[in-house]
Amino acid sequence: MASRGDRSTVVHQIAALASNTFKEATRSRVFYILLAFAVALLLFSSAMGFMAVGSIRRVVLDMGLSTVSYFSAMTAIFVGVGLIYREIEHKTIYNILSKPVSRTVFLAGRYAGLMAVLLVNLAAMTAVLSLVLAFFGGFTPRVFAAAGYIYLELLILTAVALFFSSVTSPVVSALCTAAFYIIGHTSSALPDLLVPYLTSTWERRLAVGIYHILPDLNLLSINNLVSNNIPTAHGFAIRAILYTVLTVAILMLASALCFKRRDLV
Amino acid sequence: MDEALRLKAVDKTFRGHLSIGSHQVLRGVSLTVPRGVIYGFLGPNGAGKTTTLKVITGLLFADAGEISILGQGVEDRSVRGRIGFLPESPYFYDYLTGYELLMFMGRLLGVPAAKLASRIPGLIKAVGLEGKDRLQLRKYSKGMLQRIGLAQALLNDPDLVILDEPMSGLDPIGRREVRDLILAMKDQGKTVFFSSHILADAEMICDQVAILVKGKVVQEGPLESLLSSEVQFWDVTVRGAAGMVPPPGCSVLTRLGTQLLIRVDREETLQDLLDRSRAEGASIRAVVPHKSSLEDLFLSHIPGEGR
Repeated sequence: MASRGDRSTVVHQIAALASNTFKEATRSRVFYILLAFAVALLLFSSAMGFMAVGSIRRVVLDMGLSTVSYFSAMTAIFVGVGLIYREIEHKTIYNILSKPVSRTVFLAGRYAGLMAVLLVNLAAMTAVLSLVLAFFGGFTPRVFAAAGYIYLELLILTAVALFFSSVTSPVVSALCTAAFYIIGHTSSALPDLLVPYLTSTWERRLAVGIYHILPDLNLLSINNLVSNNIPTAHGFAIRAILYTVLTVAILMLASALCFKRRDLV
Repeated sequence: MDEALRLKAVDKTFRGHLSIGSHQVLRGVSLTVPRGVIYGFLGPNGAGKTTTLKVITGLLFADAGEISILGQGVEDRSVRGRIGFLPESPYFYDYLTGYELLMFMGRLLGVPAAKLASRIPGLIKAVGLEGKDRLQLRKYSKGMLQRIGLAQALLNDPDLVILDEPMSGLDPIGRREVRDLILAMKDQGKTVFFSSHILADAEMICDQVAILVKGKVVQEGPLESLLSSEVQFWDVTVRGAAGMVPPPGCSVLTRLGTQLLIRVDREETLQDLLDRSRAEGASIRAVVPHKSSLEDLFLSHIPGEGR
């Protein structure tokens, strides 16, 4: 059983690693270029929404939230996949793990740091979208709720990227994490697509079983509900948070187990 | 307990995918480092020095053998709080300043912030980086990086300092400064275990050495017991003796006009050579005695390089 002193040291180590990861991102020009690109993309997609036929408010909200969601996901994938690999490649990890820092703490610190970076990124994009909506009189506070759910998705996606980063190269990690993202956003259609064509009960059960094994990131998204002004179902938030916590816990545990005995050549 | 570090029969093999292309790097490495000494871990490139240091610091896992650091097992992570480590050609986060790096490393070591704030200026001064600690590390030269690396290795006031090729890539002034820092660590009662292939530096400061060749320790012990204090041979330079035939037991190494460079293995033969030179009117320009050096000892263990 860890003593209070040990726990305090672990918390300080995670905070130090997270703070360093945050500095790494915010002192890089790439971070600001990406942020500027995201804001520009957001303004462009909003402008496209105003030109579209139909409810301007709905289209701007829909395009704006989609842009925020996709861009945040892309950032999480492309930064996340290099999170551990880069440390090994640049040999900066030697100075850290030769100190009394456990490999699990190292993973947790890097993860927390990237989540802080993604939070700043998401907050900036949400602020810009809110300003655009407010300017045209279409602002709704539910934009913040939608951003909150996007952040839950980022928590999962970053954990996936971290897992692959701790076992393989950035290219393979990026492909696998992108595949996870695509599967996560399409798996919910699987039962509806397959079940009508399946004749036997066991085939239907198998299809539903496969769906339950696959990730379902649509369980965390309220973008469509917000843009169509539909209220969220009772208990949606609790289910989404539980789903996120459980998935992240499983992925972090798997990362820690894979990284625990890895030789740092 | 007066051992700072002990390795017993440590093996390490790097395996390729599906165990194809396995390469055994360490073959039963055993050594003992007493406390309070400067211990040189010597060997040619590729001998397995860095692998050994990585196994000691927990970056690699040994396949077999025992490792004891300051009386604790290598698996006991807490012991790493009592050691300082400088990796070979240290890579640091180049967006941090020297001061920020030391604060970051100090936090990882669990050193309280107040203690760090009082300790860091002294360390920066000790490694000669005063006035440079607020520069980003990307603006540091190789020598400055080596020094900030030494500072971070000393942050926790360690009992055992492990340095991987600390003099490598430095100019003669930088090497002397690092040597002086290592000697200062010993004066403070620390044990210093460092790897090197720069034998002259090692010979100057080491109390004990181990020589690693192809993953095996081929020699270990106090330097004075490994190196003979007897003269091994003499090199004699004689001028004005073009036609002179040296006595038996001498070998002419070079002949430049009337100047000969002659190597003599025995003291009696040396006397014969000097007498004969004088008799023939040649002038003796130099008589240089050679004792066995660390380099000789080192080369005697390298296949194809022994004398």
